[in-house]
Amino acid sequence: MIDLVNVSRLYHRGADEIHALERVSLHVERQRFVALMGPSGSGKSTLLNVLAGLDRPNSGEVTVAGKRLNEMSEDQLAAFRAHTVGFVFQFFNLIPVLNGVENVELPLLLTNLGKAERRQRAETALRIVGLADRGDHRPRELSGGEQQRVAIARSIVTDAELIVADEPTGDLDAKNAEEILSLLQTLRRDFAKTVVIVTHDPRAEKWVDEVIHLDKGVLLEKRPGGAARGAAGAAG
Amino acid sequence: MKYLPLVWRNLGRNPLRSVLTAAAIALAIALVCILRTMPAGLDAILASAAANTRISTHNEAGIVYSMPYSYLAKVRAVPGVVAAISWNWFGGALDLTKGVEFPNFAVDPDGFAEVYADWGLEPKVLEDFRKYRDAALVARQTLEKHRWKVGDVITLQSTVFPVTLSFRIVGANPNQGGALYFQREYLEQALAGAGVQFDTTGMIWSRVDDPERVAPVMRQIDEMFRNSEAITSTETEKSFIGNFFGGLKQLVTIIQIVAALVTLCIVFIAANTASMSIRERVGEIAILKAIGFRRQTIFSTLLAEAGLLALVAGIIGAVAAFGMLKALQLYATGAGPQLGPLTAFAVSNAILVQAIFIAFFIGILSGWVPALGASRRSVAQTLREVF
Amino acid sequence: MALPLSYSWRSLLARGSRTAFTVAVIALVVIATTLFWSLIGSLKRTLVSSGSPHNLIVMRKGATNDGSSQLSLDAYQTIRFFEGIAKDPAGNPLVSPEIVVQPFFHTTSGTRENVLVRGIEAPALLVHDEVTIGEGRMIHPSSGEAVVGRIVAQRYKGASLGSDLRFGNANWKVVGILDANGSSFESEVWVDARELASNAKRPFPYSGFRVRVADGADMDALARRIGDDPRWALEATREIDYYKQLSSTANTLYIIVAGLAVLAGIGAMFGATNSMYAAVQARTSEIGTLRALGFSRGAILGAFLAESVMTAAFAFVIGAAISWLLAIAISAAMGGIGFASQTFTTNVVVLRVAPQDLLMPLGLAILIGVFGGLAPAAAAARLRPVEALRKA
Repeated sequence: MIDLVNVSRLYHRGADEIHALERVSLHVERQRFVALMGPSGSGKSTLLNVLAGLDRPNSGEVTVAGKRLNEMSEDQLAAFRAHTVGFVFQFFNLIPVLNGVENVELPLLLTNLGKAERRQRAETALRIVGLADRGDHRPRELSGGEQQRVAIARSIVTDAELIVADEPTGDLDAKNAEEILSLLQTLRRDFAKTVVIVTHDPRAEKWVDEVIHLDKGVLLEKRPGGAARGAAGAAG
Repeated sequence: MKYLPLVWRNLGRNPLRSVLTAAAIALAIALVCILRTMPAGLDAILASAAANTRISTHNEAGIVYSMPYSYLAKVRAVPGVVAAISWNWFGGALDLTKGVEFPNFAVDPDGFAEVYADWGLEPKVLEDFRKYRDAALVARQTLEKHRWKVGDVITLQSTVFPVTLSFRIVGANPNQGGALYFQREYLEQALAGAGVQFDTTGMIWSRVDDPERVAPVMRQIDEMFRNSEAITSTETEKSFIGNFFGGLKQLVTIIQIVAALVTLCIVFIAANTASMSIRERVGEIAILKAIGFRRQTIFSTLLAEAGLLALVAGIIGAVAAFGMLKALQLYATGAGPQLGPLTAFAVSNAILVQAIFIAFFIGILSGWVPALGASRRSVAQTLREVF
Repeated sequence: MALPLSYSWRSLLARGSRTAFTVAVIALVVIATTLFWSLIGSLKRTLVSSGSPHNLIVMRKGATNDGSSQLSLDAYQTIRFFEGIAKDPAGNPLVSPEIVVQPFFHTTSGTRENVLVRGIEAPALLVHDEVTIGEGRMIHPSSGEAVVGRIVAQRYKGASLGSDLRFGNANWKVVGILDANGSSFESEVWVDARELASNAKRPFPYSGFRVRVADGADMDALARRIGDDPRWALEATREIDYYKQLSSTANTLYIIVAGLAVLAGIGAMFGATNSMYAAVQARTSEIGTLRALGFSRGAILGAFLAESVMTAAFAFVIGAAISWLLAIAISAAMGGIGFASQTFTTNVVVLRVAPQDLLMPLGLAILIGVFGGLAPAAAAARLRPVEALRKA
């Protein structure tokens, strides 16, 4: 699903040069739930941005869902993201002036679907995340966990193959965090999505198939996560 | 456009800010409308004189230099001249302390109907004008302003002749300058009574039969008097009026400068709001781009926001201007001789509609840079900075 | 304990672009208002300065201005010997008989305007003591000569010193330039009275006369005596009052401009309020901290109000300076601005921003600052420290 070969990314912050990624190569199979972990400044967010088509590497090749991203123009990348990727962020996920359903509908505005169909799909997505009855509320009327669930509903409403989430549980308490991680795992299991998250949270390990550790822009290790071990354990 | 609800909602994000901005823009648009109507009154007068074949003959030295009354007969005899009348400034005032409030002239009733045929005066009115020695035709706007009716008698004391005359109003005329016309002979008799001889005329107004013949007829008239005691200069009515108000051109320029300043003001108000409201949403816009909205779309919706707000404000401003102009017309016409027709505050739909378009374009213009900047910001960079 | 002004000042500088926008809005309103107000002010100053406190103007009763009056020769001959009239060293009464005619002139840009041509006799410069010959010399009688006001020399074709000026179908040689302290006399042309009367075919040689009253004499008594004389229907007015009356018609213009200025001011006020609200919103945590430290609500209110007033004051200074420069530029580019007058001649006014013209715009700017900032400042003051800090 995801193939990165010798990807490097360098950017400037003021006068400093930050080497966010140093010749990182990565391969992620379809329908896997992967966590990118590492200390602050390890480059995990940059790596996520690159494989999601949000950022272009300075060197190296990026192939996602069979498409070569490093040759695409800005508009082509936007189209790619619209069709193939669903996003969940830590903050600012939802447009405050739109209610839940309208927020979920947002990516569908980029398609040719009619108004009624857009509304129907959005409501379906909300049902999947368990918020069918909260669709008419504005974000400020929803709890942190509910807002993230709306964001997840939005990420699946276009049937994207790849779901990426940057610190989805960062702002949440333990109970809500568990719910979100469980929901993400459901997406992988029941909806055949590939899910890649960036997280600090060590508790995430038990939900994912694979954990990838980064530090200072370099891929340190890859090891199976709790879900894979569980499956392997069940199989073996 | 399916993004319209999103654009509209975004204006409701900070209702106070949107209302304040709209109010500021509306007031400024109202001001621009009011300013632009000032020269429009002058243009209206010029336009109404544009198409007719009326020409004026006056002493080349100036209108205060009169011509012998005998010139009238000679002008009437020129081929191509359908009719001609004499014209003398009476300078009558209702109240000497207020001065001359509207122009008033002594004219020949014979030929008046033909010279002013384009006024469409009713035959009965014209007949009364000839019949009654003290008859007067008063401009509609003057009748309205002083609330006079046909049949009323008014008295004017001349500021140039040592006489006071009473007139019987027999009808209205459409003159844009507010003029009153009465019979020359009435003045002549009154002056004779005061021991003053009256055998001059200030101007001669004639009608030419054919627009093509206007230029040659004018030349012929002037040629006729080239070697006489009073050299004449003949010009079309439009040229005469244009020259008469020529001095106001500079005032009009100043008015236009001020209107431009106010328009610039609107740009700043709108730009301030656009940049404030867009800057607050940097994170949100980044997310929209992440989801897959193209730069173009982001740019257009942000621009549409600024444009929509300005458009609504412009409509409100134009409506407010309409009301204010009506009030100004009641109060300010006759606001001294200094501005003449500039204080007609002639409301025209064209000006109001143009103002609305101006508002819309200003909205677009002022939102352009912030919207462009926001649409171009790199998503990854924004996410780095914001988180 | 109040917050120091430097807090307000630095806060304004910190959000430079927002402050700049607000300053621009208010400054533009100040410029627009100042230009119009100064225009009328310049007009009034021109008219008012035309009157001399020592002089009476005598015209036919009922004439509203000296362009529409006529008077007989024997009236002049008799009245000039009345008591109370000043005399020159040779004992001649200082009475200036004059005739006013308004011929067509053509400006250098081609427009046709009526100009006030005043036919005068020898006492004219002595009676109009504010008027002097700036360049060249005074006219000689019966010589076809003219002296022109400074503005006339620049504005009309053939009016410069030494040129042949054509009006009234005759040529007049310009032999001198009149200076008159910016009064309306600088928009006039002076020629020999008899020549002018003959040129304009006037039955009466004079339209009125100006009387220089002797020092210590009772002006009003003299004016009454002239007016009451049953032989002629004349009226004598103080020149000051005469010109004041002419300029009073400009008062309505003041009202119209004031109305338009208020309109613009309210618009600017809304713009300023907008900016201030944004400032309050952005600094919620800062306000919370200040309140937690012990600054009272009044102190917060005062600080924000000070910011608003400072912005408006700064905008006023910029606006006033630009207006002043703009007025000079406009005058240089357009020459004087022509206003119509009661005499149907062109009163040319040079647009200048005088200090008293800035009072109204200053008041407007302060009002914008105070009322524009009031509501946001009150909102800032109302914030409770705990909530404000929590929002941070």
